Amino acid sequence: MNGLGQGWRRLFDEQRDAWVLGLLRLAISALLFFNGLRLILELASGGYFADYFHMPLIPEAWLPSRSGYQLLLGAQALATLLAFVGVWPREALLTAASLGLYFLACDRLQYHNNRYALLLLGLLLAFTPCDRSFILVRGRKHALSPEQRRAPTFARRLFQLQVSLVYLSSTVGKLLDADWRGGQVLFLRFADAPRVCAQRGLTLPAWAIEIVTSRWFASFAAMAAIASESAIVLGLWFPRTRRLSLWLGVIFHLSIEVGSNVELFSWLMVASYLAFVVPEVRERRFEFVAGNARAELLARFVAVFDWCARFERLTISSAAGAGVASAAFYVTNRDGQRASGALGLAQLAEAIPLLFPLWLPLALYAKLSTNPRAKAVSSA
Amino acid sequence: MPRSLLNLGPRLRPLFFCAYLVAQLSIVAHAQKSPDLLFGFQMFNASSQLKISLFRQVRRRGRTRLIPIRDGTWVFKDRSGTEHTYRWQDRIRNGNLRNLDQFVHAAYGLRAQLFRLEAAVHDFAQHLPGDSETEAVIAEVDTLENGREGEHVRIQADRK
Repeated sequence: MNGLGQGWRRLFDEQRDAWVLGLLRLAISALLFFNGLRLILELASGGYFADYFHMPLIPEAWLPSRSGYQLLLGAQALATLLAFVGVWPREALLTAASLGLYFLACDRLQYHNNRYALLLLGLLLAFTPCDRSFILVRGRKHALSPEQRRAPTFARRLFQLQVSLVYLSSTVGKLLDADWRGGQVLFLRFADAPRVCAQRGLTLPAWAIEIVTSRWFASFAAMAAIASESAIVLGLWFPRTRRLSLWLGVIFHLSIEVGSNVELFSWLMVASYLAFVVPEVRERRFEFVAGNARAELLARFVAVFDWCARFERLTISSAAGAGVASAAFYVTNRDGQRASGALGLAQLAEAIPLLFPLWLPLALYAKLSTNPRAKAVSSA
Repeated sequence: MPRSLLNLGPRLRPLFFCAYLVAQLSIVAHAQKSPDLLFGFQMFNASSQLKISLFRQVRRRGRTRLIPIRDGTWVFKDRSGTEHTYRWQDRIRNGNLRNLDQFVHAAYGLRAQLFRLEAAVHDFAQHLPGDSETEAVIAEVDTLENGREGEHVRIQADRK
């Protein structure tokens, strides 16, 4: 009971670094902007939604007039831009998400799970201290000092729970549906794949069509989808399995993005994974040999794409205790494992968002490689 | 340190946390009863299809007749000789419902689309200004439930 009470207090009182939440704010506000832009384009091309068949969830009298709707859409676009650049970012995020939820309530025909999930996550993010980094209007000094970035992040837990709830509902829905878990739903989808590919100018080879349109493949894909979603929803909550779950999630959503039209859903879920990243920054080291062209190129890459501020960058000569360098670069992870070569690249990929899909293949390659260049040295 | 009204105090945090969570779980649970699974996060739930055929019920020479609405369009000439053109697609813009006489994907399942179609047919029937001939709009719907032949559904909206 005491432990439970401590956990409860820790949940609401814990103060963590808010750096990554700022990055998450950039992603969510950009997605909210594109979601609002779609409504603006629909208004411009199709007209005011209430002039046609619509199904409001709220009384008809609560719907905005045409000009009111235009104003609100403008306000939402402005709010997303403010949230993105960092002017009253949390208030702007709350405004944009609330307006989006109001628009959904105006017409249930507009409802799609991805839009609703985006609005909820935007709303929750507004309650996190996402206004302490990536304040773009400040230019290069976009982040507050590490001490000022530490703040209560209980709403991040709520954000994580919301992401899990999306997966959980989806998984349970599929499991309870006999046609889904048996593969029938996907079989019919895949049967249409050759036609869809032909429309996009792609011709599938006969053997690929035979595989894709077979029942066993559909059945396997259905089980794989359900297993993946279950693994993601559970694995995200345990530190030992989190990294693998995140990788699985990224691959899962990239494959959905290729095969289906799910609007912003794939990008939303991949962006939402930032909420599961360890908040503390600069807990890893990237050391490189000054003067080595390839190592310096890699160092520049790390400087530009280390959006989550995972790495402390050091030149080998200045790294205390580095000793004589036999490799062009070394990557030290949070556990203190210092590696170069393929394992070093894998340790780099696990912390750089753009490289993250390569993490598992690189790690497996490093592990299975017969003559590894990797050198794991405990820095302890 | 940035100040924000959204920085909840220590007492408000658990309240907000629990209220949000309870609300979300209730909404998701309730969504399973909703025909279109609104707010239920049910992704890719079906590969079902439906084909909508529209008819008008009119009264001519004392007899009630059912007239197919080809391509969702018909023209009615009133007593003054003025022609009025009515188009299903002018009123119903929704992608799943606007396509007639061909099988289309039933996004979110058949129940969802039939629920929306019923509302659409009633809405359409109430928005036929100047048509004194049409007594009702009827949708005959053929369904394919995940590849299997489903039930035939008839939706009728009387004009009042």
